[in-house]
Formats: sequence, structure tokens, C-alpha cells
Amino acid sequence: MNILVPDKWLRRYLKTDATPKQLKEYLSLCGPSIERINTVNGETVYDIEVTGNRPDAMSVIGIAREASVILPRFGIDAELIDDPYKMKPLLRQGFAGQAKKELPLHVTTDTKLNPRWMTVVFDHVAIQPSPTWLTEALELSGVRSINNVIDITNYVMHAYGQPAHVFDYNKINGSVMKLRASKKGEQVTTLDGKTHTLRDNDVVMEDGDGNLIDLCGIMGGKNSSVSDTTKRVVLFLQTYNASNVRKTSMHLAHRTEASSLFEKNLDTELVTPVFALSIKLMEELTGGVVASAVTDISASPWSAPVVTVKRKKVDTYIGSHLSDKEIKQILTALGGKVTVTDEQITFTPPSYRRDITIDVDIIEELARIYGYHTIQGKLPETETPATVYEDPILSMEQLIKTKLSDWGYTETYTYSMISDELMDHCAIPKDLTYKITNPLSSDWVYMRPTLIPSMLLTIKQNIPYEQDLKLFELSMTYAFKKNDLPDEQSTLIVAVSGARYAKIKGIAEQLFSLFGIAFPTTTDPANDYYEQSRSLQLGVFGQMGEISTQLLQRFGIGKPVTVLELSIKNLMKHRKTQKQYTAIPKNPASFEDFAFVVPNNTHVGPMLKTMELIDPMIKEVSLFDSFKNIRTFHITYQSDSKNLTKEDTMRVREKIIRHMRTTYHATIKN
Amino acid sequence: MKKIVQTDEPLAKDQVIRLLLTLQEDAVSAINESSDTPDILKLTWLGKNSEFLKLASSMRTAKPDDKQQIGAVLNGVKIAIENALATKQQSTYTAKNEEWFDTTIPGERPPTGHTHIVTQAIEEITSIFNRLGFTRVRHPEVDWDWYAFTSLNMPESHPARDEWETFFIDSIGKNEKSKKVVLIPHTSNGQVREMEKGNLPIRMINIAKCYRRQIDVSHTPMFHQFEGLYIDKNVSIAHLKGVLDYFAKHFFGADRTTRIRPFHFQFTEPSFEIDISCGICHGKGCKLCKEGWLELGGAGMVHPNVLTSGNIDTTVYNGFAFGWGVERAYMMKANTNIDDIRLLYSNDVRFLTQF
Repeated sequence: MNILVPDKWLRRYLKTDATPKQLKEYLSLCGPSIERINTVNGETVYDIEVTGNRPDAMSVIGIAREASVILPRFGIDAELIDDPYKMKPLLRQGFAGQAKKELPLHVTTDTKLNPRWMTVVFDHVAIQPSPTWLTEALELSGVRSINNVIDITNYVMHAYGQPAHVFDYNKINGSVMKLRASKKGEQVTTLDGKTHTLRDNDVVMEDGDGNLIDLCGIMGGKNSSVSDTTKRVVLFLQTYNASNVRKTSMHLAHRTEASSLFEKNLDTELVTPVFALSIKLMEELTGGVVASAVTDISASPWSAPVVTVKRKKVDTYIGSHLSDKEIKQILTALGGKVTVTDEQITFTPPSYRRDITIDVDIIEELARIYGYHTIQGKLPETETPATVYEDPILSMEQLIKTKLSDWGYTETYTYSMISDELMDHCAIPKDLTYKITNPLSSDWVYMRPTLIPSMLLTIKQNIPYEQDLKLFELSMTYAFKKNDLPDEQSTLIVAVSGARYAKIKGIAEQLFSLFGIAFPTTTDPANDYYEQSRSLQLGVFGQMGEISTQLLQRFGIGKPVTVLELSIKNLMKHRKTQKQYTAIPKNPASFEDFAFVVPNNTHVGPMLKTMELIDPMIKEVSLFDSFKNIRTFHITYQSDSKNLTKEDTMRVREKIIRHMRTTYHATIKN
Repeated sequence: MKKIVQTDEPLAKDQVIRLLLTLQEDAVSAINESSDTPDILKLTWLGKNSEFLKLASSMRTAKPDDKQQIGAVLNGVKIAIENALATKQQSTYTAKNEEWFDTTIPGERPPTGHTHIVTQAIEEITSIFNRLGFTRVRHPEVDWDWYAFTSLNMPESHPARDEWETFFIDSIGKNEKSKKVVLIPHTSNGQVREMEKGNLPIRMINIAKCYRRQIDVSHTPMFHQFEGLYIDKNVSIAHLKGVLDYFAKHFFGADRTTRIRPFHFQFTEPSFEIDISCGICHGKGCKLCKEGWLELGGAGMVHPNVLTSGNIDTTVYNGFAFGWGVERAYMMKANTNIDDIRLLYSNDVRFLTQF
């Protein structure tokens, strides 16, 4: 949470010669971070970030207290003055006697929801503009001045981190204030004119007629608010059960400065001194006179926990030994009591440090005031664990990306979430897809089970800029598992613009050989994202081919697109990593080219495979050329055991011709 | 070229030797004067049908006493012919070198593709940490909220959960620890998952996609975070500082340093914010960085409650964790000029092909 603290106001509580620059630098090194120094109307104002665990620092006094502990560490004297916790108790029983007439207030509360309640009634209040010192302090802090009474409540909240509220006494029917949990469906209209419908367990206040006069912890009710004509004021300071206020604030989406304080663990002990100071301000600035007894209700009094930490642990964390003296100095300056032995430190934190409950909390206080900047860095000294091995899929993914990039392809990173529209284009069943409950945009709603829609969208987007698109992406797809987290599968998609089946098949074959897996020989087509006659199902490893014109049309893509999808996960499962050596043949190879005329619609793949198997002398068969019905094969002959003669090659040649004629009805071309 | 008269009688040793020496003379002068290529000349004078081979085959019928002498001469002749061929080869090359050749012709470039910046950054970050003994792992992107929050000392309804603007997944049943499923807003869900593996000490880095409900010039709803976890005995804040500094010097430059300042995370105590010194002014303050330091990420000593969630004995082990955005770290490298993170996920080839 960020707060604005004017320098002038800060120095009301902090006696020091430190310059703003010094304050900023040193405080940020050891405590709350002063992010910026602003100059407003010639005045210096600090913009400070205070972390959520430190409600005690979310105020001028809180920052002053931190500064009074930190600045001396850098050789700058600093003293905290007018500490509310050091105030002599002001409250006596006899307040009620001051006004001419006593104004009663009938209070009922629930200390589980409201651990501390303090109220008092003022009469003869004159609503007026606030004095300049007050309006200036507020406006420099980013708060608008309204009138003297309202401004007092904002002033004490900002000064001490203790919210305060005022009611118009005459608007409270029956002078009854009853604090309770809300019931579902009840409504309250707050000061800003908004009407809220409540759930169970929001905290509310009801008057004698059953009207809700306060949305406790968030904002006062419009019906009980102080206006220009108010003469009698109820001053109300309190703390609430943090989680109730937080839940209410969340479900009503209503956040105020007060609620952001109340939803943290505020110090019940702070209420009394701030209440006394608020009474003083009311008397001074409004002419109001105390006209009732003080109502002071609290749950059981706060008792400080005793927290211990071993000296050894402190020294380990900080990397050096802290002396008894230094420890006592630091912890005492932060408030609370400390005893130190050779073995351990015993600390009783002050009531405003409810965040200190375990040993490492003490270590944090010691280490930050001692100074993180003082600690000398060093690399860990222990041996590297030998039992943790990197998952081989990670380096394989890196290898694939590098290879594809070297082969001329460009990597994309598209969002894992896709839109309703893309789901429909690709006919993906929504009940088997993980859906985001609170999407940021309608573009990003479903966790994609396939990379196809995102890639097609990317192709479409880039067509105007590049004729020859060659893209790839390696990301997770999210496969559905009933009642469980998705099966996140590492998947590769490669796409090129144009009808380039052979090019994509080349990439596929090359990738399969990276894994040491034989390229599938079946001719089943891929799924209906692809043109059936120009696609291949690659077993459990994926599929490839030209994308169906229908799907392209739905995406508004006017040219063909050829795609390869591979499951890296499955390829890894069947991967053969170790290459084996086979002896280099001693005898020379010889070569021959054959041109065959093959019948229409004959697959060449099986031909290549079977030809190799005709005779052990055939070492390799490749497709040299393909034109209309003519296929030219380049054959390599080689024997492991002897030098081949003309007779040997002649014999095999005849075998080949016979095989092609009988199995494929292919005749040799002359 | 003189032809040998074919006879059926075996030739005497002296005759053979005389013929060989004559052959050598003829061959060498022929080779020098010929305009044929060295390959053809080799075939002619040393090939299957050459005179040399015919004479060499006479070795078969020679008397055993003569074999040694004939063999020696044969060898000498062969070497002489080969030398002549080598010289011929040389002069052919020289002739070639004297022709004019355009050395400024454009090269035949191999194909140029591009891996994404994020891939490059991940690779670089991983290799730096590998040198410190940190192994890269990967944990789920879609996880139970127990791992993403509860195990990290953030019980249900804790205000700290708000700080991440988390995406939730429609209910898909539950496991024994969690009711809700989230898209991870940070890679810290990997901490307890790693601890559950049961191997100690732990030195791991987890890099994964993260998701938050935010989009502007420095935020995208999907981004990459990088998280390190170190659990061992007697781990110090000093160790954390040492590791961070090592990373900064190797990733950003040897002249850069890091510092840590107080902060708060529920899952670490003490907690820190990590700053890195500005590359332009080195900590003095300038137009670019304003104060001399740039925010890099967060870190802290692992909170005991987190260690307990991972079944680690807090009286024996402690540790630290650190993490930051991969895109952010890359953009902070000097001179990338990328001023809007959304460019990285625009998937515009005109951007992608620049890196």
C-alpha cells in the first residue's frame, strides 16, 4: 500500500537533521521504501510503499518511528516525539459532567466482530472549514478537505493509522447503536450514495428503528452522516475482525483507506490514545463539548507473546555474529522488551507489532536494521547434489528449437488461452476443455488442447507482411483429465505458407531421426483439420499435411497452409538415444539408376522400402527423380564380404525388375 | 612412345630394367609436355593398360634372385612418374589461380531462422545457473491452489492472495488438499512440489509460463517467470547475495552489482526486493534509471511454514528462494530498445525476425 507523507508533518513526530534525500536513501535500505520525493506547492512529500504486514507503518507516526530506529545506524541523530503509546492516560470517568445536558447512547456490540469499541457524544458542534494547517496537511497527503469534523477523522487516521468515524447523533433513532453480523439480503446506502446488498457476516450497525446506519469497516451510512447542519456528533474509534472486513470489501468491490487498514491486524491498544487526541481536536476546532460518558468495550486485553530465537540461527542467517549490545539496541528501539543470553534471544514485541510471532520474524528485524547492504555476499560452499538430474526433455526441446531455427524457421510464442470463436472454428468440445472463470478478455478463455488455432491465427496475421512464412512453436497443450489437473503435453507445431507437403515431410523425417525413431510407414490420413488426401497420421507421434480448405476459410486465410504437429512428449517416450557403430565396408560400392513407368496413383514409399529388402547386396535406394508416371531410383550396391562383379549386379538388377513388375506392375523405361 | 615387342618368352632381368628406365624417360617428358589433364595422364602411364603395369607383371615370372633388383627399379620408376604427375597438378592449379575471379560475389547463405527472445533468455539464464549447480526443472502451469498459495503460507482468504490478480479455472473436482485450480501467477508453486520429491539438498531453477489478469506496457496476461530455490543446512542471506550477484554479472555485465532491500512475501522471512545497478550510470543516478538502481525481482529466506508444507525438518534445513520475470530481465539488458512487453507476444514476423 502506498501512502503520501508530507515532510513537514513527519517532522512533527521526528526530530532530526536528516535531509529528505537521506531519509529516502536510508529508510529504503532498511525499512519502508520511499519510492519518490514529490514537491507539491513548494512542500516536500514522500511517496512511500508500505508492505501489507506492517499496518503500524501505514501512518505518519509509523514512518517516523521507523526513521528514528534507522537513521542512527547511519550516524544521523533521530528522536521520536509525541509517541501516542507514551501518552499519559488522559481518560477519566468524569467526562459526562462538562455539558449542560447529558446525551445518552445505548450501545450493543459483538466483540468477536469488533474487538475494541470507543464512542463519546459531543454537543454544540459548529461545522466549519478547517484551519489552514489541517487542510494543507490533508491535501498534501492526497486527501480532500471537507469540514472540520470530517477532517479530524481523516487527520488522525493518516497521522496514526487508526481510522475514526463520526455520526450525526440526531439521525440515530433512539440513540441506539447496535453492531452485529448482517443477514443475507439486507441493504445499506453508504455516504457515496451507493446502495449495497449484503451477505451473511458483513459487519453492520443498526439504530433503534432497525435502519442500518454504518457499513462497518468500509464506509459510514448516508442516513447517519455529518452534514453542514449537524450540531451533535458521535465520535467512534474501533478495530474490527480483519477477515470479516476483507471479505465484505472483496464481495462488494468497495475499498477505502479505512477498509484497507481494518482488513489488517490493527492494534487494539492504539485506540485509546488516538481517541483521547481526537477529543482534544474536536474541542479545539469545533467548539464541541463532551456530552456523554465514554463507552469503552473490548474483548480480553491484549497479552504479548514471547518469541525466542537461537543466537546460532541469527548468526547463520546474517553471516556474522551480532553482539549482545547491538541486539538489545536494535530490538529495544523497535519497541518491546528483550533479554539476551549466549544461547538465545527472548523478545516480547510491542502491541503494534503483531507481525512478530516466530523466530525468523526476529531475525528479519535484526537483519534489516543491521543492514542487508552490510552483509558480504558469498557463493554456497557445499557440494553440488549428485542426485538431481535434469529432465532430458528440456535439452531436447532446446535442440529442436535450435535446429528449426537453423533450418530457416521462426519461433512464435502464442497465448495458451484461446477464444470461444477459435474453439468453434476448430470444433473443439468445450466440456472437455479447461475454462477460465474470470478471463481478462474474450480472446483468452480456454486452455488450448491443440496448437492449430493459434498457429493459423498467427499465419493469417502475418500474410500481409511475408510471402514465405516458415513458423514454429513448441508449447504445452492441455489434455483433459476428469476431476484432475490437465495433462500438460509438450507439443511442436511447424507451419509453412503454401502447399508444400514435401518440405514439411522433410522436416518431420529429420525430427524423427533426431529421436532415433523410424518414420511411420502407414498411409492413414490425419484428422479433419487436414485435407484428407494430402495428410498423414504419424502414429502416436502426431500428424501432418495441408490444412483443409474449409478450416482455412473459417480463419479467412486465402492461401494453402501446410502443417506438422508432433507430440514431443511421445517422441521422448520412444526415443533411442544411443547410436551404434557398424563396421565400414571394406569393399567399394557401385551404383545404378533405374527409371520405371508406374501405374497411376501408386505410392512410392512402399516401393522404396521393399526394394531395399530384395537382396542384401542392395545397400540403399533413393528416389532420384519423379516426373508424371516415371520414377527414377538410384540404387547403391555393396557387399560386406566381397568385391562385386558384373555378374553379381546383373543378378540383382534382374531381381529388381522382376519385383517391380510383379508387385507394382511397373515396367522399366527404355 | 616406343612400344614393347610382344614375345611369349620371359624377359631377362637386364632387359626388363633397361625397358623400365626407358619408360621412365618417356613418361616424364610426355607428362611435362602434354596438355591432357593429370587424371588422364595418370590413367595412361600408371593405369590398367599402361606399359608400367605390363612390365610390373613380369615380376611374376622373374627368377627369385632377380626379383629384388627388378622391384627396386620398379619402385624408382613409379616414384619418378608420380612426381612428374604431381608437378603437373601444381602447374594446373597455378594456371587456374591466374584467371580473374570475382571475390565480391554474395555468399550462399545457409537458411536463417529465429528462436524467440524468450527462448534465448531462458537458455542464457539456465546456463548461468548450471554453473552454480542449479538444475532446471519444470512444474505445472495449471495447478491446485494449495501449491500456488496455501502451501506458501497463504491460507484461503488471506489478503496476500490479492496481490497476484489470479486467473481461476472452472471447478474440476478436487484433491485432498485443494478445492480450486488456478493458472499459476508465479512459479513458486514449484517450491513445495520440488520439496515433495524428497531429495536434499535442493538447488533448482523452475522456469515456466505464468498468468495474471493484467495487460499494459509492462504486463501481459501470459509471461515467463524464473524461480530459484536453494535448501541446505546453515544457509545464509550472504549466500543469496552471492548467487544474485553472480547472476547479475554474467547476465547483465561484469560492471553490474545487485542489492537487496526489505520487502514482504508470505512465503519468505526475511523477504527482499532485488535491485540491479543501472548500466548507464552505475548507481549514481541518471535520466534512464533516476536513482541508480532498477528493480529486478523478489527473494527471501524460505518461510518455515513452507518448509513444513514440504515435509522438511526446519531444525536441520533452511534456504532461500528468488524469482523474477524473464521478459523483464531481458528487456533490461542494455540496448534492446524494447519499450513495450506486448511486442514479445505480438507474433509479428517483422518483430520476431529482428532477434
